[in-house]
Amino acid sequence: MPKITSLSQLDLNGYYTYQDYLTWQFKERVELIKGYIFKMSPAPNVKHQKISSNLHGLIWSFLRNKNCHAFSAPFDVRLPVSLKEGKSDTVVQPDIVVICDERKLDEQGCNGAPDIVVEILSPGNSSREMKDKFELYEASGVLEYWIVDPEHQDVVIYSPNKEGVYFGSRPYVIGDILNTSLLPGLVIDVKEVFDS
Amino acid sequence: MAEITSLSQLDLSGSYTYQDYLTWKFKERVELIKGRIFKMSPAPNRKHQSISRNLFGELFIFLKNKPCFLFDAPFDVLLSKEGNNTVVQPDICVICDVSKLTEQGCTGAPDLIIEILSPGNSRKEKKEKFELYEENGVKEYWLVSPNENTVIIYNLNNEGKYIGSKPYVEGEVAASNVIDGFSISIEDAFQD
Repeated sequence: MPKITSLSQLDLNGYYTYQDYLTWQFKERVELIKGYIFKMSPAPNVKHQKISSNLHGLIWSFLRNKNCHAFSAPFDVRLPVSLKEGKSDTVVQPDIVVICDERKLDEQGCNGAPDIVVEILSPGNSSREMKDKFELYEASGVLEYWIVDPEHQDVVIYSPNKEGVYFGSRPYVIGDILNTSLLPGLVIDVKEVFDS
Repeated sequence: MAEITSLSQLDLSGSYTYQDYLTWKFKERVELIKGRIFKMSPAPNRKHQSISRNLFGELFIFLKNKPCFLFDAPFDVLLSKEGNNTVVQPDICVICDVSKLTEQGCTGAPDLIIEILSPGNSRKEKKEKFELYEENGVKEYWLVSPNENTVIIYNLNNEGKYIGSKPYVEGEVAASNVIDGFSISIEDAFQD
């Protein structure tokens, strides 16, 4: 099999697995959702990165000396949604993840559902991507999915009900304080998230 | 008392009632939430108005010959659990209880309210109005984001708290739980 050194060598409508993903040597960042390739924005805009670093910093400093770990992209997360012959075909790079079960961490990243996934919306996000990721995190048992909207400056937290269906919180806005029962004691001032 | 003909005559950090509101004669549109004045955008942008028209149009067709009433802004809705100090102008509302309709507008909670966000921080729709509609028992609240072309539908649960749907995106259909049988495709909602 020839070495894959350019995204153009791949069939964007084809089906791929995590094993394939590991051999690719091109620069572009991609994600695999149920075997399908999703290209990521090559360089997120400044606003996006500022929010990401604010939030990552706030969570990171809270988690110091605690048993949970926070990572920011690029960090591979393999999700156990549609294993075909035991092969993983879903690997994503969320903006921020919090993982409290150390056994999920390996050399390659995280194998299994993080406790918290944070995605910061970009103008380039397609509807398909938003829909697929929502359903993906819901189906794989991510306990909280935070959607951060830089344009409207809000954060909506989705968490599963007893049936595992995600329900959304009120959009948290500047002036609000964010808490999560998953990380007792964490207090995030929404203003600090959107601080530029 | 001097006639109020300009917003500048009012104290924006003061507390006012619906009775005060009725006497104001300035052009600017304002809302009163628990006595506090909130200014409204004088002219919503075109995208906002396109979305409003699409949702209103679909609801209009759907509600024809049904016993519910449909209104779009400017239409006064009085929500005053305590005190007579809250009057808002939702982008769109549906009222199925005719006894709530008055000469001035609607007194009490509509069954459905739709607010279309404006660019920037729309804190009013996401916090002040969100809590207001929740407290007053508006059964369903749609938050429409023109920036991402998404709709989140909030419904009251058994404890009277709003629970949000997923953000519906293009390719999906947003369906009401309160206006039985009403749904709209997200493409249609955001069509220019």
